[in-house]
Amino acid sequence: MSPPPALAVRLGPLELPNPILTASGTFGYGLEFAHLARLERLGGLVTKGLSREPLAGNPPPRIAETRGGVLNSIGLQNIGIESFLADVLPGLTDLPGKVIVNLFGYELDDYPRLAERVEPCAGVAAVELNVSCPNVKRGGIEFGHDPEVLERLVAAVRGATSKPVIVKLSPNVARPWELGEAAKAGGADILSAINTLLGMSIDPWTRRPRLHTGRGGLSGPAIRPVAVRVVYDVARRVGLPVIGIGGIETVDDVVEFLLAGASAVQVGTALFRDPRTAERLVDGLAERLAALGLERVGDLVGAVRPWEEA
Amino acid sequence: MVARDGEARVVAVVARPLPYYTIELEVGAEYAAVEPGQFVMIETRHGLEPYLRRAFSVHDVALGDSGTRIELLGKIVGRGTAALAAARPGERLALLGPLGRPFSPPAAGPLALVAGGVGSAPLLLDLRRALARGVRVDLFYGGRSAADLPRFDDFRALVETAGGEAIATTEDGSAGRRGLVTEPLAERLARGDYRALHACGPMGLLARLAELAAAHGVAAEGALETEMGCGFGACLGCAVPHVSGRYALCCKEGPVFRLDEVRW
Repeated sequence: MSPPPALAVRLGPLELPNPILTASGTFGYGLEFAHLARLERLGGLVTKGLSREPLAGNPPPRIAETRGGVLNSIGLQNIGIESFLADVLPGLTDLPGKVIVNLFGYELDDYPRLAERVEPCAGVAAVELNVSCPNVKRGGIEFGHDPEVLERLVAAVRGATSKPVIVKLSPNVARPWELGEAAKAGGADILSAINTLLGMSIDPWTRRPRLHTGRGGLSGPAIRPVAVRVVYDVARRVGLPVIGIGGIETVDDVVEFLLAGASAVQVGTALFRDPRTAERLVDGLAERLAALGLERVGDLVGAVRPWEEA
Repeated sequence: MVARDGEARVVAVVARPLPYYTIELEVGAEYAAVEPGQFVMIETRHGLEPYLRRAFSVHDVALGDSGTRIELLGKIVGRGTAALAAARPGERLALLGPLGRPFSPPAAGPLALVAGGVGSAPLLLDLRRALARGVRVDLFYGGRSAADLPRFDDFRALVETAGGEAIATTEDGSAGRRGLVTEPLAERLARGDYRALHACGPMGLLARLAELAAAHGVAAEGALETEMGCGFGACLGCAVPHVSGRYALCCKEGPVFRLDEVRW
């Protein structure tokens, strides 16, 4: 009888007890799930995006279901970094999984300042940068859509923290790997992909957009093939470890992302319909590895078989 | 009481009449303590669709030899509500609850209950609780037409056994008094008939009730209907504009709000 497969993974400087994390914006600050899920089973959790000041968010309606997906425009509502560090983080410190804080700002300088703020916090294992925010100084173009700006932003964060830096890539560009390369040049350790796809839905009877803001971010199973394609391209071209995100809800989905080149995954929208999705996937992945006769998660990473063997 | 994510077994679906229906579910013992206005998130998917669970007020609860049962009152308006109406006895559906802030127990009557269409859903339990406490209750039940007053006769029977009055209104005059439910209510409020008001229905109705209650100095609460993604405070989708200027989450701070707490 062979020993049970090892789920632990290493992504550059970041070690995780298993490759299943929860995605930013879908798991609150963690504690919302404390009575509904076994937080101690997670490889890690990524917080709701945090800014320097608390944000009230967008007017309702903020969420609308579409075929196989969810369109949202929450407006980055959050309690602010100070409140998170003082009131929430102490409640998350006993977990074996890693706490990753997701950070965003509206000026480039917000990012290094936030990174500096969490630098002394032992309970924070890494920072993930949400760069899909409008850059107010550049006419609202997203930080993550401009390779030069992104490289400068990541370099500024790199200079402010010794913690692993994860950059979350937007799928709303023609060549996502160019942004991945820019993030790498700026000193990123890890890439996560993808953030939501920009979308819109209109009620045919009321003629109103289903979201108050009109446009919003699409997530859920509907976006999974897009996410797999971006992970595949970015993992092959950039050479940084990748965390796959986009419509994951089954073990097959996890394996698909691993084969495409992801070293770990984040589960997101599925948590709204089943708060225990992530822990189910941890158990399911161990069973799958055993069934495949594999010893490590890494044996699947990037192991997609091309139709034309090189 | 802490919400639990478990499973419900479908006992029966009853047309009330269609497009309205009730679905009876066998549930965990924690629902014996459910309070009026609380809600559940229930799985309605057949295959992949719809993806998210749907929020329903608990309409009624019964404790019997065979365990705890709850009823949900729905109206077929889309894929989720249609899928639930098509559920078969014996089917098992994921169920998260009970969730949210309930109606306050009325400190003193008389209490006016105000329902707009399927907004009557959480008011049956509230009516039962008020009657059990000996509070006098009148019901104001409005709909577009006679077909939009699901279970009005059941409500009326309960209200009348306790000496209360059940007043129906329809916009087309096909049942009860022609007009809006706020009209007969406003007359009674002007007479000083009520100390408290509990309501559920469309936002436009609740906004009008907030004005009326404020004008007559009546403590008023309403159960709000908003789009909900998760039901437990994670998705931040169910924002309700609060008078303080911030957004409150309907699932955590509601679904029952004091009507003067909401920025209408």
